[in-house]
Amino acid sequence: MLPILNLGPLAIQTPGLILLIGVWIGLTQAEKYARFLKIDSDHIYSLSLLTMVAGIFGARLSFAAQNPAAFQNNWTGLFSLTLQMMDTFGGGVIGLLAAFIYGQRKGLPFWKTLDVFTPGFAVLAIAFGFAQLSSGDAFGAPANLPWSIHLWGEWRHPSQIYFILSAGLIALLVWPRSGSRFNPSGVRFLVWIGSSALARIFLETFRGDSPILIESLRSSQITAWLILAGALVLLNRRLTHNNILPEAQTPQSNPE
Amino acid sequence: MNSIFDNRRWFFPLVLVLAAAWIVLTAFINPPPTQNRPAAARQGFPAPQISLTSFDSSSISLSDFQGQVVIVNFWASWCPPCRTEMPAMQAVYEEFGHYGVTILAVNASNQDDPLAARRFITERGLTFPILEDLTGATARTYQVSALPTTFFIDRKGIISKVIYGGPLAEALLRAEITRLVKEQP
Repeated sequence: MLPILNLGPLAIQTPGLILLIGVWIGLTQAEKYARFLKIDSDHIYSLSLLTMVAGIFGARLSFAAQNPAAFQNNWTGLFSLTLQMMDTFGGGVIGLLAAFIYGQRKGLPFWKTLDVFTPGFAVLAIAFGFAQLSSGDAFGAPANLPWSIHLWGEWRHPSQIYFILSAGLIALLVWPRSGSRFNPSGVRFLVWIGSSALARIFLETFRGDSPILIESLRSSQITAWLILAGALVLLNRRLTHNNILPEAQTPQSNPE
Repeated sequence: MNSIFDNRRWFFPLVLVLAAAWIVLTAFINPPPTQNRPAAARQGFPAPQISLTSFDSSSISLSDFQGQVVIVNFWASWCPPCRTEMPAMQAVYEEFGHYGVTILAVNASNQDDPLAARRFITERGLTFPILEDLTGATARTYQVSALPTTFFIDRKGIISKVIYGGPLAEALLRAEITRLVKEQP
């Protein structure tokens, strides 16, 4: 665990630095894949930038809307550089909304654009795992195993490492390469999101910080199951609408 | 992958059923850990004990403030962000003190000049308890790797937020304190 990286007089927040590197590599991959899929990479760059800027502003405004008293006599606080004054959910919603509007205005193909970003998302997920490892977030449940790590006063499952490994495997699965067939457009993205949700359902069991919905049911698993169900429904629809029919209806299947 | 897609009529529902079964089974066979956590310098964990002497030579423990909202701020007089955020600390202490909010400013005395620290306290008119961590043991217990580092502790003694670095915005201090004050002990 290394939440702060001390470089001379500078104290750098390691998780933030790792995420920044992840965003940079992810964006580079997205731009590269956009050229391959014959989508204007400038649009992809602008879309990413707009989403991030709208997300940051949205996160701060959403935080302020939830804590109006804190800013009542101190409105300049709205422009403070403090990263903790951000509401992730609000920022995410506003960022995605901005991205959707930009995509519509520029006539970007919805599913193909999501496919373009999929390798980037896969890289970002790995970076997210390393960021959690450095901050000690998403820690594991207490466990006495040969590979347990000592964290927050106990031996625990290295849940962050489990997550990094699963994100790495999923990245390998959806990474664009010759021979991998993800047709029609959108399938690559849906496979990534579905696999990630499935991994979350499995790995959440080993977490020590799971919020509980009712009784012992973990709310993250329920959310992940709903995302998985949505991804499979959309995947089925994408495949069916493009005349890629289930085996029962096709005389010859063409396994990958 | 295509073979999976070809067999999706039975494969997709099977995945959903197995995933649902895993969720239900693990909820009962391997339920989430209870909240009986050891003390650790981490959000959601009981705050480790602090027992130090203040600059006015009185002994102060974190347990003296049981049932109160406590902000533990690690600082040093040579650290510019620590100096910048202190007026905001004093302002919220004056405003929220009567709601049962305390600030314990732990001076990293093992790496600070005591005279400079005293001068800073007097200059800024700081009235909340300021403790001397002469050996750095408390900072080590709280895994402080940068100054300032601030811990927000709720009325139950659980750390609700940790902020590494600074200066802390007054708005953030107010937002966190307002939230913690509203919580029932």
